[in-house]
Amino acid sequence: MISKLEAWFHSRGWSAFSFQKDVWNAYLNGESGLIHSATGTGKTLSAWMGPLAEWLQENPEGTFGPTLRKDSPGLRVLWITPLRALAADTEKSLQLPLEDLGIPWTVEIRTGDTSQGLRKKQNEQLPTALITTPESLMLMLTRSDSEELFGDLRCIVVDEWHELLSTKRGVQTELALARLRHLRPEVRTWGVSATLGNLGGALDALLGPKNNGITVQGHLEKEIVIDCVLPKNIARFPWSGHFGVTMVPAVVEAIEGGGSCLIFTNTRSQTEIWHQQILDSRPEWKDEVAIHHGSLDRSVRDQVESDLKSGKLRAVVCTSSLDLGVDFSPVDRVLQVGSPKGVARLLQRAGRSGHRPGVPSRVTCVPTHAFELVDIASARAAALAGHVEARKNLSKPLDVLAQHLVSIAVGAGFRSDDLLAEVRSTDAYQTLTDEEWQWVLDFVVRGGESLRAYPEYRRVVKGDDGVYRVVDKDIAKRHRLTIGTIVSDSAMTVQMVNGSRLGTVEESFLTRLNPGDRFLFSGKLVEFVRVRDMTAWVRKATKRTGIVPRWAGGRVPLTTELSHAIRQELEHVKFGELRSPEMKSLAPILELQARWSAIPAENELLIERVQTSEGHHLFVYPFEGRLVHEGLAALFAYRLSRNQSITFSMACNDYGFELLAPEEANLDAALVNGLLSSVDLAADIVASLNAAEMAKRQFREIARIAGLVFEGFPWMNKSTKQVQATSGLFFDVFARYDPQNLLLRQAEREVLERQLEQSRLGEALVRLQQANILMTYPPKPTPMAFPILVDRLRGTVTSENIGDRIQKMSLKLDKEADS
Amino acid sequence: MSQSHEVELAGERLIAVAGKGLYWPSQSTLFVADVHLGKDSAMLATGIPVPFGATTETLGRLTQILHQTNAQKLVLLGDLWHAKQGRSERAYGEFIQWREDHPDVEVVLVEGNHDVKSGRLTGNVRIEEVAEKTLLHPFVLCHYPQEDPSGYVLAGHVHPAVVLEGSGRQAIKLPCFWFGDKYGVLPAFGEFTGCATVSPNSRDQVLVVADSRIFSVSCSTAA
Repeated sequence: MISKLEAWFHSRGWSAFSFQKDVWNAYLNGESGLIHSATGTGKTLSAWMGPLAEWLQENPEGTFGPTLRKDSPGLRVLWITPLRALAADTEKSLQLPLEDLGIPWTVEIRTGDTSQGLRKKQNEQLPTALITTPESLMLMLTRSDSEELFGDLRCIVVDEWHELLSTKRGVQTELALARLRHLRPEVRTWGVSATLGNLGGALDALLGPKNNGITVQGHLEKEIVIDCVLPKNIARFPWSGHFGVTMVPAVVEAIEGGGSCLIFTNTRSQTEIWHQQILDSRPEWKDEVAIHHGSLDRSVRDQVESDLKSGKLRAVVCTSSLDLGVDFSPVDRVLQVGSPKGVARLLQRAGRSGHRPGVPSRVTCVPTHAFELVDIASARAAALAGHVEARKNLSKPLDVLAQHLVSIAVGAGFRSDDLLAEVRSTDAYQTLTDEEWQWVLDFVVRGGESLRAYPEYRRVVKGDDGVYRVVDKDIAKRHRLTIGTIVSDSAMTVQMVNGSRLGTVEESFLTRLNPGDRFLFSGKLVEFVRVRDMTAWVRKATKRTGIVPRWAGGRVPLTTELSHAIRQELEHVKFGELRSPEMKSLAPILELQARWSAIPAENELLIERVQTSEGHHLFVYPFEGRLVHEGLAALFAYRLSRNQSITFSMACNDYGFELLAPEEANLDAALVNGLLSSVDLAADIVASLNAAEMAKRQFREIARIAGLVFEGFPWMNKSTKQVQATSGLFFDVFARYDPQNLLLRQAEREVLERQLEQSRLGEALVRLQQANILMTYPPKPTPMAFPILVDRLRGTVTSENIGDRIQKMSLKLDKEADS
Repeated sequence: MSQSHEVELAGERLIAVAGKGLYWPSQSTLFVADVHLGKDSAMLATGIPVPFGATTETLGRLTQILHQTNAQKLVLLGDLWHAKQGRSERAYGEFIQWREDHPDVEVVLVEGNHDVKSGRLTGNVRIEEVAEKTLLHPFVLCHYPQEDPSGYVLAGHVHPAVVLEGSGRQAIKLPCFWFGDKYGVLPAFGEFTGCATVSPNSRDQVLVVADSRIFSVSCSTAA
């Protein structure tokens, strides 16, 4: 059979790679596994052609001529993709060999974008191969006929598995895979992944911890060049901010170089600003430079994607929304605006360029403020040394499990023992205890232990036959609408008063706007008119003043690998070695930093104490990335505030954190008394995260996934509003009336493990204990302190009595409201 | 700072109580707004797993503030019940019991937007349901904050809160009483309610509630 496939490759002037043949043979032998290869190297066909070979074995004569939908075989291959945008490309790739090989299969897509007409056809008969997302797959599992639906399923392919790994979406996929394996024990599962630090973990998550899966190594990453646009005048280059507009001419020059260009930024609002800036310097590129990010309307994004493919566009300014993709429009040039934030991320973005043989992939970084030059130099050093981030598998998130239980109860229903065994067969839930299972079951049946006696509550009901089902049609319908684990701020549609939909924006941003305020969206400068019917109505702005620039708060933290690389880079600086063009360019600012304060070596912890009109600042620089700093800041503030009555406001970035208080903190005594000590560390961390209300913030995601917060939909009855509450309110209600609720514990655990990366936090503390404290008293905030100082997003830890705090505070009056 | 704070409204002396009520001693009348009973049971009835408890606690606090002020008349400025689905046997039963525990207190309810949707009160609750802008000289009883020529308006609906700021970039959001020239807005009484930040002006009096105490707020004009 393999020879038939090879002949097809030859007929197209290609030849099959040996790793592709390895996968086909393994598939025919009934094996499952993980294909691991660089982007654009034939991964799709390696996973796809095994099932085709199997068909040809069973039907050696082949069926040539047009394929009628009704004559095609039922579902045999399920192709799971993390990104809807990839589905159309994948469909084309999968279609390609069918006709030539005489295989009468249909290939279709089913995602949230699928038309009603096609859905209806699919509900009657599924295609032979179905491309879908984890969410749409879960939806199919809520059908009562799911067992028949997947009755002839032979193969599941999970594309871009590295994207799903270590996310709740990935865990949801694990549960769905376990379900499918339960329905069809002999089904083979193949994961397709780009470069990863931990292949074993990826394979376990895909197939469950007890697996005989194989790993097939495809092509390694090709040569990658990471370079940087250096600021012309470093003295004038800003110390903070993320606009970096002085770099616009350099970016325009790069675009002018010819060919197609992707310009990656780290936030959606940055995308809007850069798009605008580029068009301001080259108005004639109006139709050649487009914008792409996750908040834009689907139709807008589709247009940009197809224009990019057809070569109509010179450049697209985008976020990670265009990160993915195997055959997804290779480009000639890739720019990264702002810090790369991680090594794997930068390598993946670089991989979007240079698909021609012999040409290296290249990414050009564009710093937006001074210290990003350090990030760039460090990222390159780490990439050269092969220090790529590992993706850690998540362990038993109970919110995802609660959602899954309701999904299965909506569908075929389940028996407790059967489903428990199935759930435990996944990597994520292999250590799920009987108590945890019982709790989640109680939670979906009764709403948790404390809801035992509420007759009005009926979500999942246990029948006399011992099967758990959802009987209430409204609850089933509502559950189907909320399946998924992607939690965003409650979003509102943005629409022009004269018609077209532009996309969606976080509600929290819109509530801060007044009519007449202007902001950039979808590459347009618009003026806010009003909010009505869950829609923000805008019109084209005429004046260009008073622009509100920021509307997305998303921040990507620096990874461990990159943090480590930065500490090493600074160590070299400390000893007078500027190893790269970036560090050389930054020399004057590093010199100023050394003069006002110091550059810390790897074994030093720099603490700067500065007094300004705002109060007493402590700047501490562990260089561990913003997530760990959030935890360290809360821990420092908590421990400092135990010995004196004081209130700290805290801010942090990837280099360090700031504690600010009206009074001077007694730091010296605290350092002697174990500010960095590991004694009582676990208890102190929990106390400090409660003090900083971090678990409450984390609860937002959990409340949504576990089905507490229901955002409602525009077409639904307004009365759904009556059963809505914010996750913060839910958190308070649970903390007060059901403090043992495991979802609260999960919030705490997630903050510790995921958000604060407790293990990293512990490791960081151990490192800091050994470090020499380098205390400096700069005359004013230093170049390193400045970016933290200007951060408006702040947490608070206090040991003061609230009455005392209120006495010292006042209500700032709005001038307009006062007139 | 204390458990109560005196205010003068329309020439009358009233006492704002930290338990989120406004007491009028000369008429022995207590005003509260936005009680939102049964929000927990409404969620339960729709399949949202919240613990039941807020309704019980809110009723307990109503009892407490009635005892504390010894009021003979209770005026509810709208939104007594959160939603129709929330009137479960249990929640409504507790409410009826509460009413029976205070047989001598006269209770008046100004109809709020949630009350309209929840429908008329059933059973022997002896609560007089009145329309928006009912006069109780010199006050006009409302749910929605508004100006009215016939008197000083007492209202609820917005669940007011203010953000206080201090040195060291501190900020804190607290529920408040908000008394302007023409109308005064009470904080939401109910346990399971959120709040909305309002923007008072320099002539307004703002009292914040925190930790069972009430504080008069000083104002400063933003630069």
